[in-house]
Amino acid sequence: MVSVEGRQGIGRDESQYFRAGERYWGWFESVWNNLRAGHPGRAFSRASVDGIWEDNHEHPPLMKILFGVSWRLFHTCDCTGPKRGLHPIPITGRHVTLPLFGRESSAFRFPAILLAGLGVALAYWLARRVLRPTPAAVAAVLSVAQPHYFFHAQISCFDAPITVMAVLVALAYWKSLRSRRWGILCGVFWGLALATKHNAWFFPVFLAAHYLWIRRGDLRRLRLPRPPLAFVSMATLGPLVLFILWPWLWHAPVPRTRAWIERHLQHEHYNFEYLGRNWNLPPKEPSLRLLRATFPFVSTVFTVPVTTLALSALGTVVFLRRRRRGSERSQVLLEDAPTAFHPSWVRPGADVDRAPGVFLAIHIAGPIAMVALPSTPVFGGVKHFLPAMPFLCVVAGAGAAWLIDFSRKLLATPSRALPAALAGFLCLPAVAETVRSHPDGLGHYNLLAGGFAGGASLGMNRQFWGYSALPILPWMVAHRPPSNRIYWHDVLHDAIVMYSRDGRLPLGIGDVGVGEQVLEQSELGIVILEKHFTIYEGLAWQAYRTTQPSIVYTHEGVPFVVAYERHAAPRVSPPPQPEIFAP
Amino acid sequence: MAFPVSFDLDFLRRRRLSVVVAVAIVLLALVETVNAFVAPFRAPTEKDWVAAAAKVRAQFRPGDLIVAAPAWADPIMRQQLGDLVPLAVAGRMDAARYGRIWEISQRGARAADTAGARVVDTSRHGALTVKRWEKPAAQVTFDFLAEWHRAEVSVVNADGTEVPCTLGPNRWQCLGGSSLGPELLEIDTTLRNGLGVEPVEGKTLVLEYKNVPLASELVVATGLHSVWLRKLGDGKVRMRVLVDGHEMGTIETSSTSGWSLDRFGTSALEGQPVTWRFEITTDKSASRHFGFAAEARSP
Repeated sequence: MVSVEGRQGIGRDESQYFRAGERYWGWFESVWNNLRAGHPGRAFSRASVDGIWEDNHEHPPLMKILFGVSWRLFHTCDCTGPKRGLHPIPITGRHVTLPLFGRESSAFRFPAILLAGLGVALAYWLARRVLRPTPAAVAAVLSVAQPHYFFHAQISCFDAPITVMAVLVALAYWKSLRSRRWGILCGVFWGLALATKHNAWFFPVFLAAHYLWIRRGDLRRLRLPRPPLAFVSMATLGPLVLFILWPWLWHAPVPRTRAWIERHLQHEHYNFEYLGRNWNLPPKEPSLRLLRATFPFVSTVFTVPVTTLALSALGTVVFLRRRRRGSERSQVLLEDAPTAFHPSWVRPGADVDRAPGVFLAIHIAGPIAMVALPSTPVFGGVKHFLPAMPFLCVVAGAGAAWLIDFSRKLLATPSRALPAALAGFLCLPAVAETVRSHPDGLGHYNLLAGGFAGGASLGMNRQFWGYSALPILPWMVAHRPPSNRIYWHDVLHDAIVMYSRDGRLPLGIGDVGVGEQVLEQSELGIVILEKHFTIYEGLAWQAYRTTQPSIVYTHEGVPFVVAYERHAAPRVSPPPQPEIFAP
Repeated sequence: MAFPVSFDLDFLRRRRLSVVVAVAIVLLALVETVNAFVAPFRAPTEKDWVAAAAKVRAQFRPGDLIVAAPAWADPIMRQQLGDLVPLAVAGRMDAARYGRIWEISQRGARAADTAGARVVDTSRHGALTVKRWEKPAAQVTFDFLAEWHRAEVSVVNADGTEVPCTLGPNRWQCLGGSSLGPELLEIDTTLRNGLGVEPVEGKTLVLEYKNVPLASELVVATGLHSVWLRKLGDGKVRMRVLVDGHEMGTIETSSTSGWSLDRFGTSALEGQPVTWRFEITTDKSASRHFGFAAEARSP
């Protein structure tokens, strides 16, 4: 990811997290500076805290803090030169850093990439609860070799991090059923998850559902299961960790927590294309509600590599037969025998089977079911239920385990290299699809859908938040009008600033701003090709008096971004090689 | 030479279904991997587009329509041939008036605009296919959008008083803030040329076209402009269509009705000059920007 993230552009949200992350770092600097100046309390005053942490306060801070810290530690500093004014914090001198990255955006992205790496390790660790090392490795590779997940995993956003947190919390809970230490850690991890993204609100629901399932014997005997240490820890340490990590809550914890929750419960439905329709409101007609409810299921079927899906289907059968076929399970799934005759509140799952199949099923179905509700916004597409994917891949790992075991039995003299070779082979399609999709993973659809072109023909969403402008930036610079009046459409000013700081756009590149009115004032402009953005292409046609784009960025022949120029003379013959095709 | 792998045939016989499943997954993995490497090379290249565009350009005649199939390839087609797809054509009401349609297609797709036409010429250009489709072009005897300035426009208040609107350089201006004129509209996320108006609650906007030469049918296309306004508003806009005082029908437009075409048969009056009257009302005017186009034509 470190080696390829530079080909992926900057989206609206990411550019805001860059800004917020750097500002949050600025607050930590102010803590240190005030301490040195003998005013340790000054940085903690309400004015100081709110002045900084109000920025992007609709999302909790953990990842943004890490982005800011990483930037401070690892960027190559030329901050005191002409770029000084592009920073959202005062630059008082040259930063002493470990200059790992030439581009500042890479330094910001580094924590998300590290966390995605940790996610692979956690997926392996989770899979090892039920699988042998080789199929567990398959599960781990498949968990990252998904075009949509890979897209989100290398950028400074929260969707891959919260997916990693989902695995971390689930794993801690799983182990807490038989370990006191993990019960305490579970609360801490949930606090970190809360400080990552609001998806974490629902983790306890999934865990409680599983807990009730494994303790269903208590319920049958009309006895309430004892509350496990993990839940007590989550109820106490979780909010505490969130509070400690989020200075925005410090001076008004209750109203600001309430505002955070309300903001996401009543989130606007942004535009999103699904099956040829533009969805931007909860549907009212029953048929449309039904169609809308299919969104996460159809999206999963069309975005996850097909071999991974097939292995998951196979793995589902393996788990369904887990309790029936005692003779086989030792070869495919690991045993999960009870470790004690009686449970205790610090080891509440010691006396029962922990039902790994149900555990995985809840973690797969939970996030997907929530997005299936017609009242849930879908503007983020697959990213809204990414936390289901590592668990799906563990099930796929079980499918791989069965296949490896079966092939061993099928061959009269199986080679010792067979498991590893088969495991590698089963990962190959997912890896190849992920390589193929980069840097436009959002527009990638699998073999069933027909790839990029098939997804576009099915009317599936191709992209969002303007990240895709990066490949045409050199052309934009080369065709910069003398007036410098450039319309950047959905590429936010914060993203333009970061492209400039990264050296991908010249300092002082024009930006006429956002909105329908300003396009008329520009002489060069881009339009991001999303279904609901057609209106902007119409404005460009009128402003520039042409329907002929000067450049089209495509991936596998599917257009993502177009640019128009004012006063472009009608062309009699096609221009020489203006289109960029992604490799 | 002996086959390096030997199978436990007894096991194979006992577990036939499992063998099928295992082989199917292995084959699937193989196909998916190969496809991931091959598929990018099956996409049309710029060379294909240049060659296809050269073919169209060489035989293009004024009045021809050029389309891409699937429609998502339209921006690439316009990059190559946009000078032959002016705004009036790109924002067309429909394709009825085009007798010759150039279709640049890929992956076997067919443009909806070619419905009812037959292929008279086909050529392959790499991953692209250029087809010339032909069909009898509709004979348009009157284009209500092009002749917008010939209309008489007025606003009828709730008490029945009628206030004429004033013809400006680009639009009709009416008392109370309404105005009507030709616009490029975004309706159902497609760009359409039409007459745009923001109707006002409790008032009726009236357009009258006199001495319109009738053909066999009147086709009226209607819709609501702007993805943002369609999201915000929920009012309905109604258009009553009358010919020489007789009601032909009423069209109702809402946020979800898209760009809908309604046909009114007029063969009984074909050739006669008549007066067409359109009456536009709304139940809730907030965030409603109504657009329509109409043609008197013989298919």
